[in-house]
Order: sequence, then C-alpha cells, then structure tokens
Amino acid sequence: MSQSVSRHLIDTRVVIETPEGVDFRFRIAGPGQRLWAWSIDSLIKAGALAILWILLLMLGAIGGEAGIQAMAGVATIGVFVSNWFYGSLFEGLMNGQTPGKRAAGLRVLRTNGTPIDLLTATGRNFLRVADALPLGYTVGLITMLLTPKLQRLGDLFFDTMVVSEQRSPTGRAAGLTKNIEPLARSECPRKFSVPERTLATIERLFDPERIMSEGRREEIARPLSEALRSRLGWSEPWKTEGNQYEFFQQQGYRHTQFLLRVLKTFAVEAETGGQR
Amino acid sequence: MNRERFIRDRRADWGRFEQLLGTLQSLPERQWRAVQVAELARLYRSICYDLSLVQSREWGSRLEDYLNDLVASGHNCLYRTPPTSLAAALEFIAIGFPRLLRQRWRAFALATALFLVPFLVGTAVGVMRPDLAVLVAGEEELQQATDSYSRELYTATDERYTGERSFMFGFYVNNNTGIAFQAFSLGALAGIGTCYVLLSNGISIGLVQGAMLSKGGATAVNFTSFVITHGSLELTAIVISGAAGFVLAQSLLLPGERTRMESLRHHGRESLQLALGAGVMLFGAALLEGYFSPLPIAPAIKYVAGGLAWLLVGLWLGLAGRERVVVADSAVGAES
Repeated sequence: MSQSVSRHLIDTRVVIETPEGVDFRFRIAGPGQRLWAWSIDSLIKAGALAILWILLLMLGAIGGEAGIQAMAGVATIGVFVSNWFYGSLFEGLMNGQTPGKRAAGLRVLRTNGTPIDLLTATGRNFLRVADALPLGYTVGLITMLLTPKLQRLGDLFFDTMVVSEQRSPTGRAAGLTKNIEPLARSECPRKFSVPERTLATIERLFDPERIMSEGRREEIARPLSEALRSRLGWSEPWKTEGNQYEFFQQQGYRHTQFLLRVLKTFAVEAETGGQR
Repeated sequence: MNRERFIRDRRADWGRFEQLLGTLQSLPERQWRAVQVAELARLYRSICYDLSLVQSREWGSRLEDYLNDLVASGHNCLYRTPPTSLAAALEFIAIGFPRLLRQRWRAFALATALFLVPFLVGTAVGVMRPDLAVLVAGEEELQQATDSYSRELYTATDERYTGERSFMFGFYVNNNTGIAFQAFSLGALAGIGTCYVLLSNGISIGLVQGAMLSKGGATAVNFTSFVITHGSLELTAIVISGAAGFVLAQSLLLPGERTRMESLRHHGRESLQLALGAGVMLFGAALLEGYFSPLPIAPAIKYVAGGLAWLLVGLWLGLAGRERVVVADSAVGAES
C-alpha cells in the first residue's frame, strides 16, 4: 500500500482495500467529465420543466383562471423539486448516477467504494449552492484541485467521490496489435515462448495513459527488444527489394515494432487460443 | 498454474458472476433470492482471490483491469447501506429531529439570536418609520401587501380563491424552503452565507411587519391573524436551517480533536438531518399559509389556533424524544 500514496499524487486513481483483503482501483472523474454530465443533467431538467409547465397549464386552462393558477402552483413545486432534489433522488435511488452521469460513465460512491444512500446524495447535492459560488462552480473547482480525490465541498462534507466507469476496450492489448504481423515459428530458431511478466511489461510500455513520445518509447524498448531477440534467436532479415514486412521500412521504430509483434504472437494469439 | 490454464479454469465463474450481477442489479433488493445472493457472495470471494493472484504474478494489466472491474461492481452490489424507509423517516421527524436540535442547542441559540434581534429591531423601526420598509420590499410589493391586508377577505365560495391559494402554496414551498436550504448549504463556507441569510431575512421580515402594524386598525389585525399560525413553523424552521448551517461551519472551523476532514464527515449528516427537518416544517407552514391562514374566519379563531400552534411546536421541539435513562447510561446515549 505504500505505493498507493504516491499514486494519489501522480494520477487520479484511488486504491481501495476490500474486507476480503484485495486492493482494487477506481479512477476519479475530473472536472471536465463532471461538467459534461452536469450539462446533460441541466438540459434534461430544463426540458422536463418546460414540458411540465406546458402540460399543467393546458390542463389548468380547462378550469379557467382558477385552474391555471392552481396548476402554476403545482408547477412551481416541480421547479422546487428539480432545483433541490433532482440529483439527490437520482443518485440516491439509481446507485449514484443521474441520467447525465450515466451518459458520461460516472458514478458517485462513498470514499470507501460503497454505494451512497439517499441522505448522502441529498447532502452532497444541497451543497452545490456553496460550491457554485461566486459563479460557475469556482469554489467547487478550487477544493477539487486541493484534494487528491477531486472532491468539491459537497463531496468533502458527505464523504463521497465521483469515479469514472468508462471501460477500456476489453481483450488483451486490444487495438495495439491490430495491423501487426505475428512472428512465425520458423523465424525463431531458439525458444518460442515469452514469460508472462515480460508480456505485461510490454503492455505497460504501450499503456495509452502513459504519455511519452515515440522516440522515447523506442529508446526504452531497445534493451528489452535486444534481450528478447537473443532469447528467441530472431534476427532482422536483410532489407531487400519487395520486403514483405512493411515495418522494416520504418527503420526509426524497429524495436517498438518488434515488441508489438512479440505481444501479438504470445499474448493476443495465446489468449484467443485459451478462450476457445 | 500458468496463466492460460488459470484463465481457462476461471472463465466460467467470471461469466456467471457478470450474469448474476446483471440480473440482481436490474431487480429491486427485496426481490433478490437468498440462493442468488449466496452464490454471488461465493463468486465474489473467489474473484477477489483471482484478482490478488493476477496482481501478485503480474499476469498482464488487461486481465487485472477486467478482474478489478468485476471486484469493484461486486463490492458495490454487496456492501450497501440499508435503504431508508418511510417509517424511519416519520420516526425521525417525531423523535430524532427534536432530539438532534436540543443536542445542537448552541448552534440553534446562535441562529435564533442572529434572526430574532434584527427581526425585533426591524419591527420597532418599521412601526416608527414605515417608509423605511421600502428599502427591503420595494414600493409596489409593499403597496400590494397593504392592499391585500386591508381589503375584504375572499369568501370561501369565491371562485378565484382556490386557484390563488394553490398558487401561493407552490410559491411558499419554493421560496421559503429554498431560502432555508440555502442558509444550510452556505454554512459550508464558514457560515458567512448563513449569517447573511438570517440577518437579511430578519431585517426585511421585521421591517415589513412593522410597516403593517403601523397602519393600525383592520390592516394590523388582518396581518397579525394571518401570520401568527404558520409563523410558528415558518420562523422556527428558518432559524433551524440556520442552525444546521452553523453546524457545518463549526465542523469546518472548530474540528476539535478530529482531523478537519473527519470533522466534516462527522457533522455533515447530522446538520443535513436538521436542514431536512426544517424543510418538512416549511412544507407544513406552506400548507397552513396557503390554505388556513387566509380563511375568511374571525381573527379570534386564528389567534387561538396560532397560539396553539406555537405551543405545539415548542412542546415538540422542547420535549419530544426525551428518554428516561439511568445516569450511568446517559453518557453512552449522548455518545451515540
């Protein structure tokens, strides 16, 4: 768990330990994702209220002036409910999600990873009044920047956090090895296997969350690539006219390309084989 | 065990877990069957084990992510807080709320002072200088108020009556409860906003009341008989929501022996309960203000009803939910 402390500082993941003694991770949602969810919710609220007003006033018109007034009173209560209880009711009853949050792939959880209850949802939504001050959620943004779990005041007082549940594409190294040719058995005169840990290391090198330049990745790939080449006994074929491997033309990144081929051969192929 | 065999052996369980989780999450909790929950719990534990195995052997981040997601959604499904029931909510209003308020009497006293003093001063000033009420209410509205309290009241059979009453009811709920919830929420900013809401409302309500009283005669009688009944709930509730705001502020400014973050969490829920209780009171006040207070009946009846209302509110908040406890237990009771 000593690692998790530094993780807090450099990225937006939190590690939670379950009573079963297993650590699992959540990714905290940033202000941008939350703004997106908020915008969707605002649109939904505005649309629903417009429809409510129109329907009720039409209904009231049947009863003359008194009817219109009475229905305007009911509609005002609708405004009140949407102002103060839209977020609470949805988050409390739909396990931490408003329609906007669901669309944006976000969920509100207590900071220990368990679902929130109705009271908690109400509290964190009431405090929007304070968070929104002086305009445009400035207070909320400031406290989000000051807390590792990106919590606005409502989250701090009611012990909640907003996590992103956007799933990365499933399957191993998905997308990475799309147009990559696997290694052929005949190309590797020595061993034809790569340990799991090495494969995991390669995966991590290509982790899209790690922002690094292609050149830097090539530099990092080189020692591993060279070690693997000697393990497999693989050597680069001479560059000839009409070379069938397109990647040899990209001389600059031959080590990363080689590692991707290794990944394709031993991780992806093996996995689909194992799943059958 | 190698990775491939591990995946081959365990895949069936993972699939079953995902499927079961999907089924249960689409159902309300009371329709969950015991067999299903037991199976879910068993699968969850074994997947926890799988995850830690994959983590320790570094069998690839994709696999780890997949199992991590399974554990996260299982954790979310299994460890939840029991749902709030209507019965519990009613019991809270009857007993828990007054108890909580008495426990937080310091915040309540502060809020009372901050509201009552400007209210009384405002009334006195309003009686002496009715023209000053324009400062807080606007000339047009004030004229309107004067007119409505001096005119003949609607009769119960008046057609306009029902419509206008419902309209005003909606307005009172939205406006007054909104103010109360604001007073509470702004407490999160060290209570400055709460002070502002209490003071400004105290001053303006006081000034308008003073201006109305200064007119004397039927206007004053109409006014006082109108406000006395619902005022019992309304004014008290505004003060309570202010108190709730101060509890928030206190948790931020005076964390005591807790860390500041712990202090926020500790006081957050209780202060919210106070604010929600105030919200319920204001709903009741809006009902009275909308449908009882403007009834075309003799002011004397309204004074009696109003007096009773103040008495009941006082008794409820002052006495409800007291427990006769042995001295030794009282310390424990106060803790929880």
